Amino acid sequence: MIAPAAEQPFALFVPDPDLALLREKLALARLPDELDGAGWDYGVPLADVRRLVARWRDGFDWRAAEEAINRDLPQFTRDVEVEGFGTLNVHYVHRRSARENAVPLLFVHGWPGSFLEVRKLLPLLTADVPDQPSFHVVALSLPGFGFSEAPKKGGFVHKQYGELANKLMISLGYDAYVVQGGDWGHYIAGSLATYYAHTHVKGWLSNYPHAQPPKLSKSPWLWLTDLVTPYSEREKEGWARTKEFRARGSGYSHEQATQPQTVGYSLGDSPVGLLGWIYEKLVRWTNGYRWEDDEVLEWVSVYWFSRAGPAASVRIYLEMTNRFERRAVDGIEWTSIPLGFSLFAKELNQVPRKWLRTLGNVVFESEHEHGGHFAAHEEPEALASDIRRMFGKGGPGFGVVPGKDGYV
Amino acid sequence: MASTTAEEQPFTLAVPDADLELLRTKLASVRFPDELEGAAWDYGAPLADIQRLVTHWKNSFDWRKAEAAINTLPMFTHDIEVDGFGTLNIHYVHQKSAVKNAVPLLFVHGWPGHFLEVRKLLPLLTAGPADQPSFHVVALSLPGFGFSEAPKKPGFKGRHYAEVFNKLMLSLGYEEYVYQGGDWGCALGAHAVTHYAHTHIKAWHTNTPFYRRPKFLSNPLLFLGLLTLPFNEPALAGLQRSQEFMKKGMGYYMEQATQPQTLGYSLADSPVGLLAWIYEKLVSWSDDYPWTDDEVIEWISIYWFSRAGPAAAGRIYYEITNRNTNDLFEGTKRTTVPFGVAYFPGEIAQTPKSWSKMLGKVVFESTHDKGGHFSAFEQPEKLASDLHKMFGKGGPAHGVVPGRNGYD
Repeated sequence: MIAPAAEQPFALFVPDPDLALLREKLALARLPDELDGAGWDYGVPLADVRRLVARWRDGFDWRAAEEAINRDLPQFTRDVEVEGFGTLNVHYVHRRSARENAVPLLFVHGWPGSFLEVRKLLPLLTADVPDQPSFHVVALSLPGFGFSEAPKKGGFVHKQYGELANKLMISLGYDAYVVQGGDWGHYIAGSLATYYAHTHVKGWLSNYPHAQPPKLSKSPWLWLTDLVTPYSEREKEGWARTKEFRARGSGYSHEQATQPQTVGYSLGDSPVGLLGWIYEKLVRWTNGYRWEDDEVLEWVSVYWFSRAGPAASVRIYLEMTNRFERRAVDGIEWTSIPLGFSLFAKELNQVPRKWLRTLGNVVFESEHEHGGHFAAHEEPEALASDIRRMFGKGGPGFGVVPGKDGYV
Repeated sequence: MASTTAEEQPFTLAVPDADLELLRTKLASVRFPDELEGAAWDYGAPLADIQRLVTHWKNSFDWRKAEAAINTLPMFTHDIEVDGFGTLNIHYVHQKSAVKNAVPLLFVHGWPGHFLEVRKLLPLLTAGPADQPSFHVVALSLPGFGFSEAPKKPGFKGRHYAEVFNKLMLSLGYEEYVYQGGDWGCALGAHAVTHYAHTHIKAWHTNTPFYRRPKFLSNPLLFLGLLTLPFNEPALAGLQRSQEFMKKGMGYYMEQATQPQTLGYSLADSPVGLLAWIYEKLVSWSDDYPWTDDEVIEWISIYWFSRAGPAAAGRIYYEITNRNTNDLFEGTKRTTVPFGVAYFPGEIAQTPKSWSKMLGKVVFESTHDKGGHFSAFEQPEKLASDLHKMFGKGGPAHGVVPGRNGYD
């Protein structure tokens, strides 16, 4: 094994002037009114925003949050070359298990997520517990998110995300690894499988069950069985959620996929606007998760203080869907490496199970009665358990990484 | 029935100094996003445009001067009781013609338009050539726009807007009148005539004719009649423009129709966010109109300084479409009062001309070679000329308002 180039430690530190500007903007916040009894019907309730803005302005201690982030998450940066895009400086979390033969696992976040979503999983996955597989965990900030550089030009899509993530893992000495992701992490994990299945990517687990219906031309047997097999109650419920999300919950994705720069001016200039835009998803997309105000503010602050700015993060929608011309999932090709799904009850995009088999060799499906879109954050124990069950002894993904089966 | 018109309450626009100061402070601390190389308009409003406009807004634009000029327009407010919504104070322009028997005309703007769109039309309609019909023009700020109050509770539907229109005109002594509108002015026109055709509204005209796909069941005879007509598609360029709009330009619609409050936090708090949100449409929806920086900033300022705040305006999408469950024309029916349509090449929502016949009883049609969505502002002479022809001597809607045929 080639010794990886020395890692460049990264300590998150937002410059004082940036903190001062945020404080100034919050002090100047101009809030809209609200219709009587609006509740959540029209978007985020005014009372929530008012309370969060006040807390952000007067009570939330960013330096303390920063310190805790640096303490809990060992972070680094690394230059990664992407063909046609030059060098991107990538920010990532990296924690190795005490167990040498732990399974290397890449965790990929989405929007409006971040590297912070790996925080609760980290101790669970890297733990050295007898009879339980252990993992070396890498969690990157996607280009344009968190503290990674953003691409400078258009056209950064599935292939590029795959190339970047794969090069990162290899540079850390992980020639073979598995991937876990949700939201955009699902598409990027799928992209990694598409380009590097077998050679480097040995298996993947997604908590975002989104796929297209089987096509007669591509997978006739699947198409036929999908046609004749009745959907379960849970599948029907999930599909109803999906339709509701598409009709009434996807305005943000329409805008971000067609005019990301336009909405980007708001998100970059107004912390209140950014807060509303993101907080709406944190609440709507989770399932009974009790958000603490400081938790929300920390989450939004990462976007506010992100290296490339909040506007850069939403471009992924335009790029991956080719300005809404196609579905992002169409960039994923079927591969035979083990594919698993963690299925959380209130995930917003739930398709009939058979459709998932168009994405790969589905060997693992784990249904949960709770949890929503941000599974790693809401249900870390459940997700960690799924990861262990898929890749641990007796699991369908056991031993996929040669010499690193997760055990002593 | 002769109604005593209550004396009109003059309105003088006077934005408080504190509001100007807040805007100034916000403009001084704008945080701009970056932009992808060669982005141009592909990702939304270009950075160079927005930066230039912000600089102009900060350093050159003179709001007090613009305000003074606006105040030379005859403006008023009037309390209007709306069934179930209490009293709304409505702001409007009312310019009477020197011709006593001028035709009363209500001009209705849309989004992101406002009452000032009538400005260039006023002299052409109220004091045009002697051989052309004259109009008494009333142009209101829609509830929630400009300087009209917004409804305080959910459920303000098409019939409520119609009620506001009609009561306003009646209060001015115009028992019978004609209607002209574009954008929401068109959709709300369909709602207005549904309730007040013949009784009060004697004819209507739109410069943005668009409609839903005709259904056999909605009007079998008419539908069948359409089948025998040559299928009059807009010219190919126009069709492509509309398709482009439907695919790439509907993000704002989806967000405003489903989460207007969430979006509202950005628009209320960030002048650059509001600027970009609206400017993108001013440029992409007009037909190469040579916007001056002053024109743009004045336009945005109406929204920034609006009585109900910028967040209120977008709610119309939510209410009329029932949170994106139906189109803009739900609840309207086709009426037989004379209907006129003007086709402008730069219009973004071009539906086949035959569909206009389902929308109303088309007695007047014009097709222009220049002008876009904001034709009252871009091509006032062309629009005024259409109204002259429609309502003038020998025109298909001449004399529809008894005793007020436009000539003395």
